[in-house]
Amino acid sequence: MILIGELSLWVALLMAAWGTTVGFAGGFTKRADLVASAERALYATFGFVVLAAIGLWTALLTSDFSFEYVASYTSANLPSIYKFTAFWGGQSGSLLLWVLILSLYSGIVVFANRHKNRELMPYVMGTLAAIELFFLATIAFGSNPYQRLGWVPPDGTGLNPQLQNPFMAAHPPNLYMGYIATSVPFAFAVAALITRRLDKQWLAAVRRWSLLSWFFLTIGITLGMWWAYVELGWGGYWAWDPVENASFLPWLTGTAFLHSIMVQEKRGMLRKWNVTLVVSTFLLSIFGTFITRSGVISSVHAFAQSSVGYWFGGFLILAIALTAYLVGTRLKDLQATAQLESMVSREASFLFNNLLLVGIAFAILWGTLFPIISEAVKGTKITVGPPFFNQVNVPLGLLLLALTGIGPLIAWRRASVANIKRQFTGPIIGGIVVGAVLLGLGMRDPYALIAYTLAGFVLTTILQEFHKGVGARRRMYGENPFSALFRLIARNRRRYGGYIVHVGVVVLFVAFAGLAFKKTFDVTLKAGESFEATDPFGHQWRFTSQGVSSYQQLNRDVTAVLLEVHRDGKPAGFIKSEKRQHVDSRGFPTFNPSTEVGLKYGLRQDVYMVLAGVTGTPGNETAEVRIDFNPLVVWVWYGGLIMAIGGLIVMWPQAERRKVQAGYVAQLAPEHEKAIV
Amino acid sequence: MPVTHSPTHGPQLTAQSSQPDEFCLMTDSTISRRQFLGAVATGLAAAAIPSALIAQGVQQGSGQQISAATNMAMDDGRYRPVRLPSKGSGPSMAAKQRDELERHIHCQCGCTLDVYTCRTTDFTCSVSPAMHHDVMALVDGGYSAQEIINAFVHVYGEKVLMAPPKRGFDLTGYLTPFAALGGGVALVVALLRKWRPATADGAPVAELPVDATPDELARLDAAMRSDDS
Repeated sequence: MILIGELSLWVALLMAAWGTTVGFAGGFTKRADLVASAERALYATFGFVVLAAIGLWTALLTSDFSFEYVASYTSANLPSIYKFTAFWGGQSGSLLLWVLILSLYSGIVVFANRHKNRELMPYVMGTLAAIELFFLATIAFGSNPYQRLGWVPPDGTGLNPQLQNPFMAAHPPNLYMGYIATSVPFAFAVAALITRRLDKQWLAAVRRWSLLSWFFLTIGITLGMWWAYVELGWGGYWAWDPVENASFLPWLTGTAFLHSIMVQEKRGMLRKWNVTLVVSTFLLSIFGTFITRSGVISSVHAFAQSSVGYWFGGFLILAIALTAYLVGTRLKDLQATAQLESMVSREASFLFNNLLLVGIAFAILWGTLFPIISEAVKGTKITVGPPFFNQVNVPLGLLLLALTGIGPLIAWRRASVANIKRQFTGPIIGGIVVGAVLLGLGMRDPYALIAYTLAGFVLTTILQEFHKGVGARRRMYGENPFSALFRLIARNRRRYGGYIVHVGVVVLFVAFAGLAFKKTFDVTLKAGESFEATDPFGHQWRFTSQGVSSYQQLNRDVTAVLLEVHRDGKPAGFIKSEKRQHVDSRGFPTFNPSTEVGLKYGLRQDVYMVLAGVTGTPGNETAEVRIDFNPLVVWVWYGGLIMAIGGLIVMWPQAERRKVQAGYVAQLAPEHEKAIV
Repeated sequence: MPVTHSPTHGPQLTAQSSQPDEFCLMTDSTISRRQFLGAVATGLAAAAIPSALIAQGVQQGSGQQISAATNMAMDDGRYRPVRLPSKGSGPSMAAKQRDELERHIHCQCGCTLDVYTCRTTDFTCSVSPAMHHDVMALVDGGYSAQEIINAFVHVYGEKVLMAPPKRGFDLTGYLTPFAALGGGVALVVALLRKWRPATADGAPVAELPVDATPDELARLDAAMRSDDS
């Protein structure tokens, strides 16, 4: 099976090359036989990539250490689940996962469009096959997981301990599914540009793929934050690391596109902008991969520096040049069919929302690259860490939060004073009440106060929208509140699913602002010693060391400290943090020791404990621990979950009959506003 | 080999490096612009003409020491003492303020963390505890936060700061995003002004196909009217 897999990789490469050639040739010559051949080539590529992946999984699960990849990322005593996930634990395996997902997506696109978008499809297939070709060539010639060592070591190096975590089983595949899904809208954009069919047709084809990408990126980024929180041990979940930033960039531009696409659908505007956003989102996904793999910028999550980064750099430049040429030569075809009428309109608010999202993306990209730029200008190295990103992005993020609330309240085309007054009164009162209450309770952090006030405003906006919708349904159909709410969402998934996403955004901001009240304590404790601390909510905590213990567990030697916890004098369980020294099957250490965080999750705050070191003699050890009270962190995960649920509702297929009714309701509302005015 | 820095003013700073600069990890893992541009050109060629001669990627696990906290390669030899003679005025700040100060100083082990976070997280790092001891000695010596920051910058350069200083070229780092955003807002406003006269007649909104009877429309309209009132 391994040999079949190895050979399949090369056959897949040939298939992708063929698909690229006949895809574009079929489009330019209008020959149906070539187009049909491209379809078959894409299906075949998927099949052979699946075989190549099965081959690698077989090598990993059977610990065939004659392969450099298997020897580098697994050991005989590695639990099977991590042998399986080691597939994406290293450079070449993760590239194979990338092309596996890409070829799956390509197959789905070909199948789903077998009877539609026929003018676009040859170029869509050609573009997708070209991207597959690039990845397969990079794997085959730059970083081949089937590279043999020439000898068989007795055991492998093992998987990095920090990747031996359930989150790492889910985080990279989700992130990749998000990154790679941007290829499909990109392929449709290229096809639309080549054919000059830049109407709504290509947009309709890419909307669901853009949502899919956004959905998986949201899940992938949230899981990545969670992994960093529980595994890295520094007490936070987002450090503005270049690779974290790189995953966030396509999410931002993708989010901008999902808003601006509505403006083009309803008003025929922002056509150049939408093409630019689709192309940028794809290019930023490749840029993220380039950063992770080139070693140009130091990062927590980077793969080892290798020539693969330059392949990505080259591909990025080629893709930018080609798409810039296509957009530049099709500007006339991208003219808007309508124009903006008022600064106070839904479309204008989307424009400002886009400006902010892209502005934040630019600020993050700028900060990520600024060390290189500064060094080029000044000749000295600098560090651009969290203080820089927070200073620049927190104000922009708060503005974005405000727009999240403002946008849905403004009518399409032109909002009147009466409309604004009626729509904004409740939410503004809601925001002011939240801010006043928190001020009264003693909150003084200005950013947190602004964030919570805006959160109150946005949440009231969303509640108001749901209240109106449910009220309308109850009056029209006599439904009870719950079925009215359910049907309201079910009948207009885009709109109300979008509001649910906004609820997730609010929850995230509430959680982010909570970190302003984080409290940290460093303590050294011998067995039996206690430490007392007051948390941000005023509760008294006592931590009593039960001592340091050492033991063997699975594929590691563990040193652990156990603390008994009391909250306000009442027992609150135990908390344990570990240092793990992973060993191979012969007992030899494989990596430096890693940290296992002690965590007590709570809705109001997490108690987070890290064993930073152990001193003293056996039996008389002193544990050096750091204890953090992290307010509201759990709401980051809930916020991500709510956003994902909202995204799922938006994506969920809607029956044609219901679509019509949803459009009718959505359309009537602003018209109705005008009528009243 | 000891290296002595002679500042033009202020107390004498002494820095000692256990390894020459060329052995610093950052030099190994960070690529010069020339190397980078050359390699991108190679990548372009590689993308255009795939060749079996392209070198294999360097696999991870080459024996480099990896930070437990950040999964990044560490180099303990990058520590350099930052020492100043005591002013004799006693500690300049409390432990909490000192911890806060350490959050502005970048650990030099090769990780991305500040000194405080690294030393309280990663017990495999020997650089952050050493830098912490220097901070403690300077605090005990009566130096203010700014003086301590200056001393670290003098020895390590500006890379020891967690964020670039807001002066000179680095100020553009802070201003550019806002300038770009301001430019974007100005562009949108300019476009609006240009567009508005063209559609001031208030032409109706492009309608979506609506499949509803007049009776249904009337019912919905009535419901929404009462909802808004």
